[in-house]
Amino acid sequence: MPNQKRSWSSRLYRGLLRLLPFDFRSDFGGEMEEVFQAQQADAHRKAGTVGLARLWWETIVGLFRTAPREHLSILGQDLGYAFRMMRRNAGYTTLAVVTLALGIGANTAIFSVINATLVRPLPYRQGEQLVVIHQKATKAGIADMRFSNYEVADYSEQNQTLSGAAEYHGMSFLLLGRGESQRVRTGVVSPSFFDLFGVKPVLGRTFLPADDLPGAPAVLILSYEFWQNHQGADPNIVGRTFEMNDRVHTVVGVLPPVPQYPNENDVYMPTSACPFRAAPRFKENRDGRMMSLFGRLKDGVTLEKAQADFALIASRLESQYPKSYTKAMGYRAEPAALETQLTQTARPTLLVLLGAATFVLLIACANVANITLARMAGRERELMVRAALGAGQSRLLRQLVTESLLIGLLSAGLGLAIAYQGLDLLVDFAGQLTPRAREINMDRNVLLFTLFAAVFTSVVFGSVSAFSSRSEVAAGLKEGGRATMGLKQRRLRNVLIVCQVAFSFVLLIGAGLMLRSLSKLQNIDPGFVPQRVLTMGIGLNWSKYTTNEQTLAVARQILAKAQAEPGVLSAAVASSFPLDPDALAGGGFNRRFQIEGRITPEGENPPVSAMRIASPDYFKTLGIPLIQGRTFQENDDEKALRVAVINQKMAKHHWGDADPVGRRITFNRGETWITIVGVVGDVREMGLHREPGDEIYLPTFQGGGLGTVLVRTAQEPMSVAGQLRRAVLDVDPQIAVTNVVTLEDARTRSLSSQRTTTDLLGLFAALALVIAATGIGGILALSVSERLHEIGIRIALGARSTHVIRDVIGRGVGLVMLGVAVGWAGAVAVTGMLKALLFQVTPTDPLTFWGVSAILIGAALLASYLPARRATQVDPLIALRSE
Amino acid sequence: MNPDGNVNEKTAPLTPAMFHVMLALADGDKHGYAILKEVEENTGGEVLLSTGTLYGIIKRLLGDGMIEESRQRRPTAGEDSRRRYYRLTRRGQRVAVAEAERMEKVLAMARGKRLLRQPRPV
Repeated sequence: MPNQKRSWSSRLYRGLLRLLPFDFRSDFGGEMEEVFQAQQADAHRKAGTVGLARLWWETIVGLFRTAPREHLSILGQDLGYAFRMMRRNAGYTTLAVVTLALGIGANTAIFSVINATLVRPLPYRQGEQLVVIHQKATKAGIADMRFSNYEVADYSEQNQTLSGAAEYHGMSFLLLGRGESQRVRTGVVSPSFFDLFGVKPVLGRTFLPADDLPGAPAVLILSYEFWQNHQGADPNIVGRTFEMNDRVHTVVGVLPPVPQYPNENDVYMPTSACPFRAAPRFKENRDGRMMSLFGRLKDGVTLEKAQADFALIASRLESQYPKSYTKAMGYRAEPAALETQLTQTARPTLLVLLGAATFVLLIACANVANITLARMAGRERELMVRAALGAGQSRLLRQLVTESLLIGLLSAGLGLAIAYQGLDLLVDFAGQLTPRAREINMDRNVLLFTLFAAVFTSVVFGSVSAFSSRSEVAAGLKEGGRATMGLKQRRLRNVLIVCQVAFSFVLLIGAGLMLRSLSKLQNIDPGFVPQRVLTMGIGLNWSKYTTNEQTLAVARQILAKAQAEPGVLSAAVASSFPLDPDALAGGGFNRRFQIEGRITPEGENPPVSAMRIASPDYFKTLGIPLIQGRTFQENDDEKALRVAVINQKMAKHHWGDADPVGRRITFNRGETWITIVGVVGDVREMGLHREPGDEIYLPTFQGGGLGTVLVRTAQEPMSVAGQLRRAVLDVDPQIAVTNVVTLEDARTRSLSSQRTTTDLLGLFAALALVIAATGIGGILALSVSERLHEIGIRIALGARSTHVIRDVIGRGVGLVMLGVAVGWAGAVAVTGMLKALLFQVTPTDPLTFWGVSAILIGAALLASYLPARRATQVDPLIALRSE
Repeated sequence: MNPDGNVNEKTAPLTPAMFHVMLALADGDKHGYAILKEVEENTGGEVLLSTGTLYGIIKRLLGDGMIEESRQRRPTAGEDSRRRYYRLTRRGQRVAVAEAERMEKVLAMARGKRLLRQPRPV
């Protein structure tokens, strides 16, 4: 029994000794077992089981105290040695650190964006409970109908799953204070809106229910950015008054810097203060929709339960109000998680970029692994000496891993600095995709990610050196062993090159596809001529221009002044212009209409079209071609026949090859008829990547709708901006002049997110190409120097230079072609992810694939040429003497 | 101890456990278990070294050149073959002496301030 106990306890003790470093165990393990056995016997004799238990406890505590000290001591020695080796091989160290830093930096940069936008919870109180509710007409293809006053009340009062709900809609009003009037983006919200989100003001308060009562004093809350940028961050802003919509509004609070959803606004007001929202005609119309609705799920309620709840309310409304919710609509009301809504546009692009950055890191790792592998052949003597002095293999491996970790950590530090430098650029880029971009910073998650990337890269290329060191020591200890790379190491080296090439190929394909897509977008005919056109946003004081006549009078004056300006070839006013950022953000203005002779029966959906109001010279100013009939004339005014111009798409859609000129349409079921007088060319109004939709143009002097002035100029358009602005303010100094931008700039900005994505992918691909090409060149040069003896013999035996060059280049290009083949298969599998980001380019575009293959093989040829030339200059006598 | 190996009493302090191990070796070569037992007896059971602690100390003292493995003493026929004997080196002796003298001075100071009673003559 005692023998059995001793063997059991010996095994356990031996197991505990594994806490200690291997070398320590080798030196003292046997002795420690012997001493412990003696202690056990002694303790059992003196105090029985209690004594044994106490001994075990003290032994375990002692081992747990000693083990970390010993490991740290070895780490300290290894770190000191690693630093000395790194200093001695400064070239290798610099190359490895810089190469890995580029890969780690790229990943850290992209991850900081992903962390802020996709990983971190919303910066609202319990953000995961927040939902946005959409009303949909699924059969009519409308994903967001918005809400009317009655619908906000119905869903807010009848739901069982929300602890609160609040409405929002965006307007643009004129703020009159000191100095020039300002058009401000205004969020019109329920009083509980900010409480719903858990947003606390930095100054003052948010809205109270009393602020929303009819007749209550008008109040405003400012956004943080507006307070900072336009009010000088005045700490005494609360209590200041501004005039807006013919009323004096008092500032009651300032918001903190949080992402604003669904739009960034300058100011907020309660619903009763918005003249449109508060108008009885709007409030009493169930079909008058313009608001969005937000809610907060009750504790413990799932999104699915809320969706079922809202589906029930929707079906109840369908049966109660069949005229408003026809069967043909396919009416639904669905809550969706706000978190998802805020990031769904950004998600595919960011994940593609993270994938690309990961590839860059893998290529960098493969490159450094190859360099390390080559270097290990030269460290054979050092490793042999250390082995002879008593260092076990595990000790040597531990040393090599420590060196790798040190390089990894240095690379991480440099990579973090690189990522930090690029932060502003990334915030700008991400800001085009999600309002959460403002939250991007280097927080703990980003630092942990960088550390993880450092450890990962160290493990990847460190294991290569560890693998190689086993063979080096084993080979070197053999009698007459020499410092050349064994077969296994050469194979590993070739595998690493093939991997680098394959990853580079996939990256280059991604960049190439995006570049072709961007090129197509930039060259596509937008349907208008953007050169030398200036646009200027116009904001009238609604309370001053209460009738159509007043608005039209000021429109005529503005036009007359604009046309009279020197340098202006033609001028127009319109509700908006193509690629107008405000229109793109707001989704444009659409309207249902009926065609004479084809009235849609009750219960079915009439056709819908986008609508734009334009003055007579609009088409001439923008260079939109006239296809049939005529455009607007000066006498298309409120006294004349109601007319409209449509685009080619709409003509084809509703009349096929028949002539639509002279046909009539109505917006109000025949109360008023509008005659189509012309057909113009299609314009890509809502984005260059979007096919033109149906478009109806109505004349300014029949419809009103003044939002923009457009002028075509003889010279550079911005040169007339100042004088045009003065001309507009001459008409009415209270007009807010905003968004002065050339049409070319508007077109460029509409492509900015695609451009930045392409630039980033291109940067990653270029990095990958440089790293891979230098890696291939370096390894080939090393291969040549290893084969000097063999090459010398071949030259001595009569081999010509061309044969030697062909041999060296052939090996290099052969590896690259294998890498291209592997990369080709990988790219076909992976580029499907890019489909959503591409325009008129397929993910397996043959031109891109063949082009990238040619680039890589060309790079391989270039990288192989110098080592090949060097090989032909080998002196056979010197090479043979080196045996 | 300064870098050239000379004992400088001002840099002499060792951890108490290290000093006890060196004391145990002061009167002759001993193996690990004997060191443990002597330390326990000398301190009346107040200092109980575990195997982990003891061999961490031995490793450090070996590395500092204060003890060495005894080539003259080997395990006898009846002893476990894994047993190894250690002895103080000259350097170790000097360090132990310096440490003891330092402690004596401290004791004298404590007695001078009547923190400790004067020892009774035996």
